[in-house]
Amino acid sequence: MAEQAQRALTSSHSGRRRWRPQWTARMALIPAMTITIVCFYGFIIWTFVISLTRSRLLPVYKFTGFDQYFRLFANERWWTAMQNLAIHGVLFIGGCMLFGYFLAILVDRGIKAEGLFRTVFMLPLSMSFIVTGVIWQWVMNPGLGLQEAVRDLGWTSFEFNWIVRPDRSIYTLAIAGIWQQVGLCMALFLAGLRNIDPNIWKATRVDGIPVWRVYLHVITPMLRTVFFTVFILMSAIVMKAFDLVVALTGGGPGFSSDLPARFVVDHILNRQELGLGAAGAFVLLCTVIAVISPYIHFELRKERGGRGH
Amino acid sequence: MKEFSKVAMVAAFLSTAVSAGALHAQTAEVLHWWTSGGEQAALGEVRKAFEAQGGTWVDTPIAGGGNARAAAVNRMLGGDPAAVFQFSIGQQLRELADQGLLANVDQIATEEHWDDKLPPLIVKAAKYDGEYIAAPINIHGENWMFYNKEAFEKAGVDVPKTWPEFMTAAKKLQDAGIIPIGLGGQPWQERIMFNSVLLGVGGRDFYAKLYSTLDDDLLASDTMREVFETFAKLKPFVDESSPGRNWNEATNMVIKGDAAVQFMGDWAKGEIIAAGVEPGTTVGCSLAPAKDTAYIMTVDAFAFSAMDGQDPTPAQAKMAHVMLEPDVQIAFNKKKGSIPARLDVPSDSFDACAQLAIKTLQDEKTHLVSTGLFGVPSAVSGAIDDSISNFWNSADMSAAEGQEQFRQAISYAK
Repeated sequence: MAEQAQRALTSSHSGRRRWRPQWTARMALIPAMTITIVCFYGFIIWTFVISLTRSRLLPVYKFTGFDQYFRLFANERWWTAMQNLAIHGVLFIGGCMLFGYFLAILVDRGIKAEGLFRTVFMLPLSMSFIVTGVIWQWVMNPGLGLQEAVRDLGWTSFEFNWIVRPDRSIYTLAIAGIWQQVGLCMALFLAGLRNIDPNIWKATRVDGIPVWRVYLHVITPMLRTVFFTVFILMSAIVMKAFDLVVALTGGGPGFSSDLPARFVVDHILNRQELGLGAAGAFVLLCTVIAVISPYIHFELRKERGGRGH
Repeated sequence: MKEFSKVAMVAAFLSTAVSAGALHAQTAEVLHWWTSGGEQAALGEVRKAFEAQGGTWVDTPIAGGGNARAAAVNRMLGGDPAAVFQFSIGQQLRELADQGLLANVDQIATEEHWDDKLPPLIVKAAKYDGEYIAAPINIHGENWMFYNKEAFEKAGVDVPKTWPEFMTAAKKLQDAGIIPIGLGGQPWQERIMFNSVLLGVGGRDFYAKLYSTLDDDLLASDTMREVFETFAKLKPFVDESSPGRNWNEATNMVIKGDAAVQFMGDWAKGEIIAAGVEPGTTVGCSLAPAKDTAYIMTVDAFAFSAMDGQDPTPAQAKMAHVMLEPDVQIAFNKKKGSIPARLDVPSDSFDACAQLAIKTLQDEKTHLVSTGLFGVPSAVSGAIDDSISNFWNSADMSAAEGQEQFRQAISYAK
């Protein structure tokens, strides 16, 4: 009798145990789910709805179809901003990966004072984009920065005036951005490099393969997930890029270095063009999804496939 | 003992409740974006007068005009409006009035005859449906030319009165090794210079007609072509580091004599005074070269949230009254660097530049306003800024292309 009761108790106990964690897990997920659904998907939908209205200063639910999109696509400044996003995206992400990886390899080769170099490369990361922008604005200002300094040294024909040239100003964003983020990329790559099995190095040494070929053909493919992580992190920074351009060039000269995020904020907050800004934000989202999702999909599938083996 | 403390507590509670109620009647929260030293000192004069008349001032400064405007609107929509808030008068404020979010101060304006005391164009801009929805506190002028007298003497030129004269003078200044124009290369500053050219070349009637109608024929006219040609001729007179420069840095170039002139609004006087120079002495001020005299006005104004209904609360009415009191107008505007919105206050205690402005405005024909006050939607004025800035910064765009781009930008944004 007692034994039976005991068994009943344990079985019900174990049943509850199986059921309880699931339940609590769901409970714990509710806040996060709500925030995601309301703040993320809810606001995406709301932004889309607003983009279909003629709202200016205040949200007005008077629908005008895709009018705002036609206005947006007729806007020269928008296309400049989108083109700049592409240029900046390629240069910034590519530059961060290249330099980050290169620095990580140098540090990994066991240079002297490794700790010092690591700190030096990581330091810019502790600054906000605003500060970075202001610093580089001074450095690149032709009247008081690098150009003036070099000319004072005697090389009077030296020119570095990209920040005031409409056809070059977009590249200054990449320079400042890479300078700031390269440390983070280096740290991630370094962590990846340190995780490589030392036996691989021993094996390649036995086989007499030159070091650069080992990096190129053996190590780099092994770090694919690290590259993936860096890519995702950096693309998020590119898409959000707003403060850097505000502090560095203010979108200028003219609107030659404008980026979509700044276009959207400018139109919503300063120009009371809520509808047009929302349309811009939505197009930006679609672009991001179109560009990034194939890569994510491809990488994740590969990974899943890889694990199956 | 216990009983006593209970009674004391109730009494204390009651007295706070009562005093809070009494205070509420005269308490006004003022939301504004005047956070710099000079601006705060100026607003302090209004506060002093308001408090002297029994009001309680709750200060809510928010840095940046855009941020402050957004905050004012958001709080209104959220049901917790600031009683008095700084706002630009024009299209956006009317949109708020459209939604019934504003109290009108028409009664006090009628009692105090604002209609007769403020410039008619400002009266028009501050009204919605024939009733005042804002209290204009000052007038800033946008078509000023500040110049360094020594630089002019060194190059041997007089203050130019027309744009052709300016071109000759600028060449001489350049030959003397002085940057002719100290320009902050940000869209709004480029627009201020453009508007001076527009006014100077087209004349005051053309300026007024263009911005009040945004008429396609005017935008495509030969006069407009000439405006763009003149504007383009100014490009070589600006130094290389101009893009992105702040207006006050450009003002300092003029103060130091590195640059000869700056086309800027009269808020630049604040910077000149801060550098220890009396405006009108070593740094002179005159209106930008033009074929006829005119003054492009822009206004700082405060609007009033509807607290319950369209009628202002006693505190709001008092604020509207205080802001346009002659003494407050003088004290406030001397510190702000602007001139009184009321044209009937004595001008003798102001500096030379302000006196010139007040004198100019006595003739009503000189009255012009900046784009926003013509009722141009902010979308259009934004598009105007974009296209002017784009034209100014592209080396290879011809005047005709610039003009066409300007016309198109306006028609898309309309």
